[in-house]
Amino acid sequence: MSNTKKTSNRKRQQVKPQTDIGGWARHHLKCASDAFLTLVRQPISSALTWLVIAIALMLPALFYIMLQAAASQTSHWQEGGQITLYLADATSESAGTTLANELALRPEVLKTEFISKEQAWQSFRPVISENTELQLESNPLPASVVVIPTLQDQADLEALILTLQDLPEINDIQIDLAWIARLNSLLDIARSTVHLLGIILSVAVLLIVGNTIRLSVESRKSEIEITKLLGATDAFVRRPFLYLGAWYGLFGGIAACVLLTLISVNFQSVLEPFLAGYGLSAPAIWLNAGELGTLLFASILVSLAGARIALWRHLRDTDPK
Amino acid sequence: MIRFEQVSKRYDGGHEALSSLSFHIEKGELVFLTGRSGAGKSTLLKLITAIEKPSSGSVRVNGALLKNYNRKDIAFYRRSLGIIHQDHQLMMNHSVFDNVAQPLYIAGEKPADVKRRVHAALDKVGLLSKVSFRPIQLSGGEQQRVGIARAVVKRPVLILADEPTGNLDPELSKDIMELFEQFNQLGTTVLIASHDLGLIARLNYRVMSLSNGQLVETPFASRGGQS
Ligand SMILES: Nc1ncnc2c1ncn2[C@@H]1O[C@H](COP(=O)(O)OP(=O)(O)OP(=O)(O)O)[C@@H](O)[C@H]1O
Ligand SMILES: [Mg+2]
Repeated sequence: MSNTKKTSNRKRQQVKPQTDIGGWARHHLKCASDAFLTLVRQPISSALTWLVIAIALMLPALFYIMLQAAASQTSHWQEGGQITLYLADATSESAGTTLANELALRPEVLKTEFISKEQAWQSFRPVISENTELQLESNPLPASVVVIPTLQDQADLEALILTLQDLPEINDIQIDLAWIARLNSLLDIARSTVHLLGIILSVAVLLIVGNTIRLSVESRKSEIEITKLLGATDAFVRRPFLYLGAWYGLFGGIAACVLLTLISVNFQSVLEPFLAGYGLSAPAIWLNAGELGTLLFASILVSLAGARIALWRHLRDTDPK
Repeated sequence: MIRFEQVSKRYDGGHEALSSLSFHIEKGELVFLTGRSGAGKSTLLKLITAIEKPSSGSVRVNGALLKNYNRKDIAFYRRSLGIIHQDHQLMMNHSVFDNVAQPLYIAGEKPADVKRRVHAALDKVGLLSKVSFRPIQLSGGEQQRVGIARAVVKRPVLILADEPTGNLDPELSKDIMELFEQFNQLGTTVLIASHDLGLIARLNYRVMSLSNGQLVETPFASRGGQS
């Protein structure tokens, strides 16, 4: 036959039935509901899987919550990170006040305060009179401006200091920034840790779901073989297992969201009175709706990926023999 | 419809189950395939259903060379077949209904149509009363009839039956054969592997005999001979 190729191609077209959207949608619906029932009918064994997923998701999420809470507090702590500008002796009180007001307008400055020679002396005098016999004829303390920068990184702060140094009224600058730098780098490390934990535990979820799906394929191997003999495509055979993976992800994700919220709310109620004792208000330490939604979505996505990888590995073994 | 050209099949074990087989079955024919146990009947059917691949030679169905089919083509091709397996191949964890309905689910039929056609097919093999049973609760012959109902539920263009009456009493065997004849009269090509020589002798159809993987002349050949 010289026209073999042509003939077989034409015949191949005939073999394929036209795509039927209705039937395709029905099968999706059936797979989704069957997979859901599988999970519900075997509550113990399926709970083992989705609880492990939930725990794996909770770990990085809890870390993330603590980090958010810490970061939200640093704007208060920043007040400790102040810059004191000591003014030249010749600077008048009104010039000092003007300087303080001008600096306060800068975007990188949160607020400023002018401390006159007199004020400095007033706050210093009790210390002297109680502890020493020192008698001074004139006030030796300089006037100063206390600058509190807005929250920003080390480089911005250093640039701010360089501009301040050039001002003629300023004699000396005293900076208390080292601990802010340390705090910022600690927060950076914590952020990377959250990312790393997130990746590691996503892989864990991937493996958990993959293994569960592998076992499920194993237990339904003969059924899959028969279905293939009856003309099921690979996509048709995969579908119920992908839905199973997605449900595991959803169940695990929901469990993680509920547990996280319970833990955070409980912790908040402990933290609140504790911080109130120091005159502080407790930060919000739970995930908002958007963050919970992201967690849920990620859980489903990673579980689906785990199922897909497992199917890719194990469905080849189920070709009929 | 089915054309074998110099087809040989050697299993991994090294045994040559079929050697250099050539034959042609016309569209609309009903053909018996017979031979002793181990002659290669099941192997021949598995080559047609693309479960096994020939070691050499070509198998064509409907003019198309099966070895050109990719996985998806094979799936769609199998949907046009009604396959009855020697070992039934039923899904043991599913009801009789679901077993017979599976080809229709694969084709994406509507639930109402599925129900109607499954009941019609089970009625034909006399198992309508056991629709919600599991295969494990059925006798060997009943399981075989579930397999037959599943093969005919979709009006296939080609029925391939491997020992379809192996577990049936003579009365039931006759009924099932009549079912195949009915389909054949409606235009379905039918290939039946069987060593029930009595049954084959009673009916006047073409017979292909296999012996040691080759086609041989048999006493029955003279009674058939449509081609
Ligand atoms: N999967 C396999 N691997 C190795 N050898 C096989 C395999 N299947 C069949 N054979 C061999 O091929 C030969 C033909 O087997 P086949 O099943 O086709 O016979 P058959 O005619 O259907 O026999 P029966 O009437 O008993 O069903 C046998 O000798 C068998 O040992
Ligand atoms: Mg056989």
